[in-house]
Amino acid sequence: MAYQVSADTGGTFIDVVIQDAASEQVIGKALTTHDRVFRGLSAALDAAAGEIGLTGKALLSQTDLFVYGTTRATNAIVTRNVAKTALLTTAGFEDVLVLKEGGKQDGYDFTRRYPNPYIPRRHTFGITERVDSEGRVLEELDDHRLLETLTMIRDEGFEAVAVSLLWSIANPAHELRVAELLEKVAPELPVTLSHKIAPIIREYRRTSAAAIDASLKPLMQAHFSELEQDLRDFGYNGAILVSTSMGGVMTIEEVIESPIHAAKSGPSMAPLAGLNYSLLEKLGGDMIVCDTGGTTFDVGLSRDGAVVHSRDTWIGPQWEGDLLGISSVDIRSIGAGGGSIAWVDGGGLLRVGPQSAGSEPGPACYGNGGMEPTLSDAACVLGYFDPDYFLGGRMALDTAAAEAAIAKVAGVLGLGVRETAWGILSIASESMVKAVHEITIAQGLNPQESTLVAGGGAAGINIMQIANELGSQRVILPKVASALSASGMHFADIVKEESAALITSSEAFAAKSVAKVLADLEAALAEFASRFGDHYPDYSMEFGVEARYQSQIWTIDLPLPSKDVVDEAGQRRLFEAFHDLHDRILAVRDPGSTIEFLNWRARVTVCLPRAQKTYDVSTERIGEPASVRRCYFGEAGELDTPVFKPDQLLPGTRLQGPAIIEEPTTTVVVYPGMAAEVSDSGNYLLHITNGA
Amino acid sequence: MNDTTFDAVRTAVIANKVDGIVREMTNTLLRSARSAVINSARDFSCAILTADHELLAAAEGIPVHIFGAQLQAAAMSEAHPDLREGDAFLDNNPYIGNSHAADHTILVPVFVDGEHLFTAVSKAHQADIGNSIPTTYHAAAKDVYEEGALIFPTVKVQSDYQNVDDVIRMCRSRIRVPSQWYGDFLAAIGSARIAERRLKELVAKYGAATIKAFIRDWLDYSEKVMVNAIESLPAATLHNTGKHDAFEPYLPDGLEIGVTIEIKPDEGIIHVDLTENAPNVDCGLNMTEATTRAAVFGGIFNAIPMSIPKNSGAFRRVVIDMNDGSAVGKPQFPHSCSLATTNVTDRLINCVGAAFAQLGAPYGVAEGAVGVGVGYAVLSGVDARTGDAFVNQLVVTANGGPGSAHADGWVTYGVPCVSGLMYRDSVEIDEIKMPIVYKHLRLVTDTGGAGKYRGGPSFELAYTPKENPITVIYPCDGQVNPSKGVAGGADGRTAESWLETPDGSRTRLPNTATLVLKAGEVIHGFDASGGGYGSPLERDPALVLEDVLEGWETASHATETYGVAFIEASDGLAVDEIATASRRSAAMSDSA
Repeated sequence: MAYQVSADTGGTFIDVVIQDAASEQVIGKALTTHDRVFRGLSAALDAAAGEIGLTGKALLSQTDLFVYGTTRATNAIVTRNVAKTALLTTAGFEDVLVLKEGGKQDGYDFTRRYPNPYIPRRHTFGITERVDSEGRVLEELDDHRLLETLTMIRDEGFEAVAVSLLWSIANPAHELRVAELLEKVAPELPVTLSHKIAPIIREYRRTSAAAIDASLKPLMQAHFSELEQDLRDFGYNGAILVSTSMGGVMTIEEVIESPIHAAKSGPSMAPLAGLNYSLLEKLGGDMIVCDTGGTTFDVGLSRDGAVVHSRDTWIGPQWEGDLLGISSVDIRSIGAGGGSIAWVDGGGLLRVGPQSAGSEPGPACYGNGGMEPTLSDAACVLGYFDPDYFLGGRMALDTAAAEAAIAKVAGVLGLGVRETAWGILSIASESMVKAVHEITIAQGLNPQESTLVAGGGAAGINIMQIANELGSQRVILPKVASALSASGMHFADIVKEESAALITSSEAFAAKSVAKVLADLEAALAEFASRFGDHYPDYSMEFGVEARYQSQIWTIDLPLPSKDVVDEAGQRRLFEAFHDLHDRILAVRDPGSTIEFLNWRARVTVCLPRAQKTYDVSTERIGEPASVRRCYFGEAGELDTPVFKPDQLLPGTRLQGPAIIEEPTTTVVVYPGMAAEVSDSGNYLLHITNGA
Repeated sequence: MNDTTFDAVRTAVIANKVDGIVREMTNTLLRSARSAVINSARDFSCAILTADHELLAAAEGIPVHIFGAQLQAAAMSEAHPDLREGDAFLDNNPYIGNSHAADHTILVPVFVDGEHLFTAVSKAHQADIGNSIPTTYHAAAKDVYEEGALIFPTVKVQSDYQNVDDVIRMCRSRIRVPSQWYGDFLAAIGSARIAERRLKELVAKYGAATIKAFIRDWLDYSEKVMVNAIESLPAATLHNTGKHDAFEPYLPDGLEIGVTIEIKPDEGIIHVDLTENAPNVDCGLNMTEATTRAAVFGGIFNAIPMSIPKNSGAFRRVVIDMNDGSAVGKPQFPHSCSLATTNVTDRLINCVGAAFAQLGAPYGVAEGAVGVGVGYAVLSGVDARTGDAFVNQLVVTANGGPGSAHADGWVTYGVPCVSGLMYRDSVEIDEIKMPIVYKHLRLVTDTGGAGKYRGGPSFELAYTPKENPITVIYPCDGQVNPSKGVAGGADGRTAESWLETPDGSRTRLPNTATLVLKAGEVIHGFDASGGGYGSPLERDPALVLEDVLEGWETASHATETYGVAFIEASDGLAVDEIATASRRSAAMSDSA
């Protein structure tokens, strides 16, 4: 096997990670070029290739797999910079995207406007037809009026069409008929049918998925085609795969076919990376990954060795944004990061964020004219950054500007500059701890019994404070922490999911129907997997169902212990598995209650080949600091703090806090009383107590 | 830094943790509760009180509940001087501190090293409480006896963390669908116990002395934020009135309410006088002390466009006068307060919030939609698909919110006491749970109360039984007295309900109805909409154009109401600036 290359295109940076045949990884970064992504990508490729003495071109000539992730789809959804899309609904129910599912962030806040529907009302058209919950046609589709509508859509310059009719999951005939007629009227228009993209009950979710998918089609087709062409022109001949919100990869053709899967393309890879590092370091399959960038703090999980998914993925705020409606890696974000701005509110309380200095002008210490005190400025004032060696020396920091910015807040509080900076750091850590709690509570994971994996350029500043608050005994900061999502792409397999709605209950379990649904899903996915049989013959299949106790509203996503549910023993196992999971997530077990099952799904994983490197067992050694500088640590005060460079940190090295580790793309702060060691594979294992 | 001076960092850090604990309580209750009123309508609240019964933190959920929890905790301490670790109490006494009898409140005193430091409170609206008829909103009840509610004045339900079965057995032998009640009871206990565990961890981490200093600092800080907000208001005395619709035959004239609000910026106090209100009425529409206070606080927080922590620190700066034995005040036993959390409470929240609009922008809000009509009806019958009986409340429509000085009304507002927090049903889920078919559910153009910022619009819906007849019940309000516009804004539209027979003819239904809908018959509902804020003539023409393009307004209604004229430009409809200016100035001089 030659090289594998992955690239994660973010809003500001493109991260490239090269993995060699021995599964060693190196990183390259460059600024994202929004006009043509390949310009930035080739710069990042050159930067990464340079680390192993190659050019980008030479690297790609020896590469056989290129995996690509991008925030392009997410940005397009958020900015609504998407195709002019027509939405066709059942007549009388055109407002499904206006009404959503209710809910609001703050009931006392009357200053914010109600969100616009994802597709404007003036682009939404009712179709005369009606199917009921049993799939019976109550009102026939009016072909004549439909044709008029479709002709108007063609003539009015629409670029994509989404179709979402009530109960299309029970009887898809009308949605299929719309697609058939559209093919005649406007064969060039891309179309998404709700029962195909998200075959689930609840019209808002299905409609939102269809609308988002259709609206992305022209854009993402152009984006991926252009990228593929640029890579080919550059001389690359190997396979190209795209990372998806499902936590796997897909071919470009697949993603162009249903581009909604590109929506969480980058962030969905971080939990994959985190899980991989946790398993590599033999720290178990319950894992929490925290990815800290300049403006957002993302948290994802794995439970029992599997990345945790959710169907409640909102682009934008919960209830008020747009729901993806498809199963997606569960990633929750808060607005906190290196750029978060500190301020004092009217009651005299120190606050950090949610406002951010972003990357323009960025923190004051970047010297780009930023005046507001940020988390990065606090770290700078505390002495954690070497002003002359920030980002491996690629950027000089303006410590005086950072101090001046922090001093503004310190003056209001009547505190010293360093005390204030320490306070900013503590409060930022606290809000991140809360974000971790929110997702672990919702998904039934105990932070104290899970491995914490840190990623993102700003992660090292306070991951040990966060770990300490969470009580996490096992913490990993991978060598490639600053490009964790791109790193995760190297552990991704081809993943595809299909689902079908079938409501039944433990009281009167429709065993035969369920078995048929599962068999159909399995057959469809086996056919899909067989397309890769020549290169990647190995695949595995998992099944799941959304289930709840009778009269609950919320479902939990239950992996099926087995797809064998026809006999009674199989059903008992299924019901028992639900009680167990409900108990784990919600601390309630009610074996006497009926269980309801709603949406069934199957997921196929086509395994990509991957080298398993075994690392030599290292011998314990003490690190030699490159220098010593004064750093401030709250109650411990200002201390002489040894500073370590990566080339002195061979596997087996242990060091005691206080200490600073200066990696080229991230800085790790080891607080007094804490410790760090370099694992056999070269990752940092962090310990919140000295004795570990 | 020491424990006697305000610590801006420590206070922020611990406040964040306490807020996280309340959120964990909320999440636990929301997701493990069994009844739809809790897990879909979010009709519950969680809070943490201090040992001396001050509200320290409350989160999400329906806030109108929790602002009276202080009174309940005080009643708990008084009734149980031997309070111990491991105790839990059930309270739903509307005559002391509870919101209404249907809100079962679990109180758990939290002890650390033998000292009572906090009380954790989980309060949830039950699907049934064993009333004389199968509803928790018994509007016609002459008194609590006719209402039939079991009243629990802070009775012990757990001791040493084990259930005390007496009261639980009482509930299980009287309340309809006892397993549902018990599931919700367990969820509420679980939620309060989670808070207990987390609070103990918090005290273990920081020490009791630091936590006590934090409590003082946090409440003082909250008070200071409230003082700052009040100091920024102009000194004024505001008077406002509202009216609940007639409720035949019990309240043929409806119920007038009135409030006087004196803003004293120099003292940092808002004085609210409710003593002009009528004595208790002989039906279920009386408010309780808890909901009266909650409605006043809710109205004030809505009206002040600033973020204020909702706790006893902020409450210190609001003085409320109310009468004993008043429909808007403290109820006198045995008057029924069955609807104390909704009807008159909604009118009072509106009345207080709108009063502040007399100060001019940016203060106050218009009135939001009231009334739970056809889109919130309780349906019951026998489902022919299964042969099973069903009973379920719809929460499917929108009810437009009030315009404010900043934004148009929230579309999925509900009623004032839920203020947009409630989740909506899916049409498909309703159709599979119940044997009905919806005919439509859509926005009605030209209905948001006009204003510089308009109210949320009305939605209309209709449904019909699949085969068997179904019983439809919906309670009163919203069909007679509209939600008022403020500062020159127009009123919202009133709600309507209609019965359509198979021949297509329609008859108007009353404000409160119980009817049996047969196959082929269709019931139609129109929501009330929100009132507007400010003169429609001041609305940004670009917003008016957007409303027309998006079908919220027709062009003719927009021209007539907002004085905006349109022209067909090459790229579609556009504002005719010159015609608009002359229309608007003519309209203004007409009204001057």
